[in-house]
Amino acid sequence: MRSASDSVPGFRKVLRSRKYQGWLWGYILILPTVLGLGLFYLWPLVQSFYLAFTRWGAFGDYRWCGLQNFERLVSDPKIVDALRNSLVFTGLTVPLSISLATLIAVLLNAKIRGVSFYRVLYFLPVVTMPAAVGIVWRWLFNADYGAINYVLQKVFAIRGPSWLTDPKIALYSLVAVAVWGAIGNNMIIILSGLQNIPTVYYEAADIDGAGVLTKFFRITLPMLSPTLFFVSVTAIIGALQMFELVYMMIGINSPAIRATQTVVYLFYREAFINMNKGYASAIILVLFVIILGLTFIQLRLQRRWVHYD
Amino acid sequence: MAQRRLSVAILVVCLTVLVSAVGQAAATKLTYRIWDVNQQPAMKQIVTEFNKVHPEIEVEIEVTPYRQYWTSLETAAAGKNLPDLFWLNAPNFLLYSTNGMVLPLDKRIAKDKYDMHGYPNSMLDLYSYKGILYGMPKDFDTIGLWYNKELFDSAKVPYPTNNWTWDDLIQAAIKLTDAKKGVWGIAAQLDDQSGFYNTIWQAGGYVISDDRKTSGFADPRTIEGLRFWTDLIHKYKASPTQAQMTDTSPIALFEAGRVAMLSDGAWNAIRFAENDYTKKRVDVVSLPKGKQRGVTIHGLANVIAANTKHPEEAWTFLKFLGSPRAHEIQAATGTVIPAWSEYQHLWVKAHPAFNVQIFIDQVKDSFPYPVSLYTNRWAQLSFDELTRAWAGEVSIEEAAKTLARKMNELLAQE
Amino acid sequence: MTKASASLRRARWGKLAIHVLLSLGALVTILPFVWMVLTSFQTLAESTRIPPVFFPSSLNLKNYRQVFYSLPFATFYWNTFVSTVAKVAGQVLVSAMAAYAFARIEFPGRNFIFVCCLAILMVPQQAYIIPRYMLMLDFKWLNTLTALIVPGIASSFGVFLLRQFFLSLPGELGEAATIDGCNHFQVFHKVYLPLAKPGLIALSIFVTLWSWNDLMWPLVVNSSTGKMPLSVGLATLQGQHGTNFPVLMAGAVLTVWPMILLSLILQKHFVEGIALTGTKA
Repeated sequence: MRSASDSVPGFRKVLRSRKYQGWLWGYILILPTVLGLGLFYLWPLVQSFYLAFTRWGAFGDYRWCGLQNFERLVSDPKIVDALRNSLVFTGLTVPLSISLATLIAVLLNAKIRGVSFYRVLYFLPVVTMPAAVGIVWRWLFNADYGAINYVLQKVFAIRGPSWLTDPKIALYSLVAVAVWGAIGNNMIIILSGLQNIPTVYYEAADIDGAGVLTKFFRITLPMLSPTLFFVSVTAIIGALQMFELVYMMIGINSPAIRATQTVVYLFYREAFINMNKGYASAIILVLFVIILGLTFIQLRLQRRWVHYD
Repeated sequence: MAQRRLSVAILVVCLTVLVSAVGQAAATKLTYRIWDVNQQPAMKQIVTEFNKVHPEIEVEIEVTPYRQYWTSLETAAAGKNLPDLFWLNAPNFLLYSTNGMVLPLDKRIAKDKYDMHGYPNSMLDLYSYKGILYGMPKDFDTIGLWYNKELFDSAKVPYPTNNWTWDDLIQAAIKLTDAKKGVWGIAAQLDDQSGFYNTIWQAGGYVISDDRKTSGFADPRTIEGLRFWTDLIHKYKASPTQAQMTDTSPIALFEAGRVAMLSDGAWNAIRFAENDYTKKRVDVVSLPKGKQRGVTIHGLANVIAANTKHPEEAWTFLKFLGSPRAHEIQAATGTVIPAWSEYQHLWVKAHPAFNVQIFIDQVKDSFPYPVSLYTNRWAQLSFDELTRAWAGEVSIEEAAKTLARKMNELLAQE
Repeated sequence: MTKASASLRRARWGKLAIHVLLSLGALVTILPFVWMVLTSFQTLAESTRIPPVFFPSSLNLKNYRQVFYSLPFATFYWNTFVSTVAKVAGQVLVSAMAAYAFARIEFPGRNFIFVCCLAILMVPQQAYIIPRYMLMLDFKWLNTLTALIVPGIASSFGVFLLRQFFLSLPGELGEAATIDGCNHFQVFHKVYLPLAKPGLIALSIFVTLWSWNDLMWPLVVNSSTGKMPLSVGLATLQGQHGTNFPVLMAGAVLTVWPMILLSLILQKHFVEGIALTGTKA
């Protein structure tokens, strides 16, 4: 008797075929991720886009309002302030934290003892939650009783400023805290990048009699550029989303709030304090466009300065 | 066969009886949301006593810190998921009652002949809309002038009296300020209920018109009331600056002995009584007189959510919350001044170290907390605008007039 | 002096200079922590004294007691622990499965779906918050640990990172296993997953840190003190105690020590993990 498996690929043969089994397993394995991403990322993204065109009343009642939110956005001075604050904050924090992290990584890469000891210390801010970082530095920056102004007074006989309540300097105080917190993380990634640079290059340079600086600029930086690129892209995206520092360190009624509130802080304020979730969604849309734009620019510039093997 | 059917029938009957008995014995669970963790012990005591009479109704107290209270409540309301009972305050009362989020109480009170005689009319009015009562008054508070006796002693300034005028306060504050020691006479805190609302009444001004359609901030008398504080900061230099008060809060400064006077609420009595520094050093007097006397009065109410699945049980618990015994507990623990007038003296007794009777005495000079449908919008706006005057960036007239203009725009949308 | 010893001298001075610089930096990094701990033992009066008191008069635990009295910090630890462990386990498992499939199994639409997953990385996190909040409302998951855990399980980053890992492993191992009769899942489970351990550890550490630090989402979704994690608990402590810095510092210490301890014990893994996320990306 002829069996079913003798005929042109029967159903059971299909099932047993490696290729189709692969398909089945492939879909099964990606299912939880696709479900999760679809439900908690993709759908929210679409809805977030939609909500940017809605107006919210009391108790979650919302309705379509067209471009009203965007009209308001364009003329709202708080948005202009927030954008400026976010851009200045990012523009200062990222270069500072990356260059300092590179400096420290280079120093740690030199053949010295106690590397892991230093590494642990520099790593501490990374494992400290931003909420705690904010609270501790708020205390350090306290104009009347904080340690920083005390040291300034005692050691340098300067009367320290109101670090967090003076609108002219509060943002820079936040930059200092952000840099302090970010160095450790960047340093570890950069250090790893450094350690991956083959020593042959340095040995060759030594033979040619190159000095320390030449070696740094001609070998280290170019070899490090992919790592630096990654670090700078993530740092910029992270800095543009800064929220915790403003939330913890600057009170909503502080004289410095207009000078420090970032786009994401404004988003939180509009969405959960003023209950204007539609307007808040419009704000986030703007941020999204900015991040997209900046990342795209970076990707383009990458060809100019990032050196791949 | 018949035997089998009979035994099955008996089994079914037994099971039904068992299940229904279990069902009855199973307690109803109510959630009761509050925001003040300092009051939690008193609330827990009330629940314990309630359970002695009604063991079948479980009450779970949820504490949501004030900062998140209204946001989370509003979301819960949107999702028809409000806690069965919760605290409501005057600024939010209209929002919840006009949107049908809380149960009206009149019919139930009438049906159960519930005793309401201990409640002052002002409290009942505060939580009534169109003549229907929605909230069971819980407590009330007024504002007093807290002061640090030790700082007055070292500066050799006589203690404040209940007959002080604005001028008396200003003069004392100036004398008490010692820049070298880092001590100020008074903290001119940017706060509405504890701070500038009171001086606005005292100057003869108003915050919002009676029909709730116009802002009172542009009124020259109101501006005088606001100027009282900005002058203390900028003209008399007897108060820390707004920057300093943002760095270290006025109450922290008071508890650290850095300011000699603080205009603040009755609710702080229990806090100052438990604080090692303040319990021996502070006392309180009535607020000073401007053109007239004026104090903000406010109080909380317990309400039942309209969407509660257990209206009867919630009403039973609410009746206990509004009973004299519950007010007695609130008062005797020194937690808050109960709305039930007959037990207010117990609260006074609970704070022998401070002259807290003045909080109750000032009720006759009090003005109700200003509200509208969306009170929180213009309340936050008032901080946004006035902080600039407090910080000295603009004059108080300019800040107040801008505030009035923006507030009128908001009120027009209500 | 010989040339050799002169250059040795230079090298030693060089190393000394490096140590000095590094120590200065380390000092700046560590001083805030020291100050945090010292202040946590002071009284409010001591903390507002001019000149400031560096060493508290006594190691009084009053502030810590105040923290636990004000807020259920023990519950915060539990909430943070449970939600973090669940998220790590969930994300590593789910991402490993998907990453393997994207790396080593052929199926129609594979590349398209993967690129879609990646595109999500470009979007700022906050764009998801309001809609997810509305989802939690609909599912009645507000004020639950579920709300903290479930949205954080699927992750583009995790998939991306682990896919890089699986790609870098040799394909011959899989072929050998197939010849032995293993199906796709067995190849994944028995052959490649154990080899991906460094990547799995790296992802675990990354997720742990991110979960520990997260503030806005838990702030928005869990407002009841019984369901908050540590980050929100600390923010709430600040809401309640304003500028009572000794109490706030005590709270900060309580949120900081677990991660510090963990990172000290698992130092090597932490460092390797973070380095890996940087180099693989």
